[in-house]
Amino acid sequence: MHELSFDRLDVDGALADAAERAGVMSRGTFLAGALGGTAALLGFAAEPAAAQSARDVSILNYALTLEYLQASFYTEAERMKALRGRAAEAAEVVGAVERAHVKAFRDVLGGKAVGRPSFDFQGTTEDQNAFLKTAVAFEDLAVEAYKGQAPRLQANSALAAALAIHSVEARHAAWMRYLFGVEPATRAFDQPRSKQQITRVVNSTNFITGSPSTEGRRTPSYTG
Amino acid sequence: MSSVTVGRTVITLAAAGVLGFAALLLWPAPESAPRLGGLPGPPTPALDVPAPASLEREPHLAMWAVVEHPATAREAPGAGAAVARLRTRTPDGTDNLVLVQRRARDGRGRVWVEARLPVLPNGTTGWLPRGALGGYRIVRTHLVVDLTRRTATLTRRGRRVFGARVGVGLPQWPTPRGRFYIRSKLVRYRSSFYGPLAFGTSARSAVLTDWPDGGFVGVHGTDRPDLIPGPISHGCIRMRNSDIVRLGRLMPVGTPLTIR
Repeated sequence: MHELSFDRLDVDGALADAAERAGVMSRGTFLAGALGGTAALLGFAAEPAAAQSARDVSILNYALTLEYLQASFYTEAERMKALRGRAAEAAEVVGAVERAHVKAFRDVLGGKAVGRPSFDFQGTTEDQNAFLKTAVAFEDLAVEAYKGQAPRLQANSALAAALAIHSVEARHAAWMRYLFGVEPATRAFDQPRSKQQITRVVNSTNFITGSPSTEGRRTPSYTG
Repeated sequence: MSSVTVGRTVITLAAAGVLGFAALLLWPAPESAPRLGGLPGPPTPALDVPAPASLEREPHLAMWAVVEHPATAREAPGAGAAVARLRTRTPDGTDNLVLVQRRARDGRGRVWVEARLPVLPNGTTGWLPRGALGGYRIVRTHLVVDLTRRTATLTRRGRRVFGARVGVGLPQWPTPRGRFYIRSKLVRYRSSFYGPLAFGTSARSAVLTDWPDGGFVGVHGTDRPDLIPGPISHGCIRMRNSDIVRLGRLMPVGTPLTIR
């Protein structure tokens, strides 16, 4: 069944590996795909902003892309109205927080902010179980991504912001794990993930797509 | 021992004690010893994260999706007669899309999406398997064409952002009334007849059924602006070129279209 078939989407096993490490699901039970133009999106080459180094701008844009992914996922889930009970409540609360993160990054990056990609969540926003599985993986991924980039930030103010969001993402991860019925915290020490690793995982989901081709140059054949 | 000697000894010991205590104070503390009170305050974060904002009520939101795989639309979720067979491309060469109305599950738990379809009779809806469609996309615009007043009005979030006089179908080739959607946008083609820009819609002429590519109704410019407003077309909605260019900047594909 399409909206539940994470297995068929598991292209290179990367996200499955992430999920397996998180103890959420076995390999082959996660997302998949091809990121289209998003590899470029995640490999920003931003110029230095007024008060930020080029590296920090790049890292903030990387974080913004992950926040777009999460915010769009929860927002669509809320709009589809297919969730029930605590999952529906969590989607509403976490979605509002992720949208706030997006706004914060866009505000601080200004003209340097990358645009919002197009998404196709392939039915995972329309099914309770698929939603929770995906939410657990997204939140764990975000925590690993922030952990991986925080030490590379050059400005203390950027580091402070990253840490402030990192702990919120960790709370989300624990919440979604609880709702999905898996242990929120089983390890004494969490590992970070590099941008390359995260990008590979996101690429494998197929959730980020190219924009549809809705504009053409053919001479119209309308009735006139 | 004389009293003088005792006194000197006491003074010497006292001096040694003071020196020793001073030396203790001056001796560097081991690195593991806690230093209290010397930590700076936290830095100000670079981000000013706003309070979480709940989704607004979205009465003017419409949702559409691309047809990713050829699919048969049915009368009911997972059942009923075939209503239409949908392709992935439009006659304009663009991605085919449908306007999403609602969703439901069939008896086997599969998700189906009811969509407005670009087929005759006008106003047809049908149920498509969710897997045949791409990601959901949203618009907050709505184009309303009034055939009596011969006007086109675009709203965004319920507020009017565009208005223009239009030409509509002649009595023998009437512009169809009903609820449709904007399906494609064509630019830079070589035809002054259609003006500089044309939108394809899901509406079709109920009369000119043998028209090339099925007789779809467009919203486009013109090489005869002097005829606008009026009943002048084969069913299409024509507007002055300056108006269609302006509309082209404001109206995204997927916008619902009401013709009344």
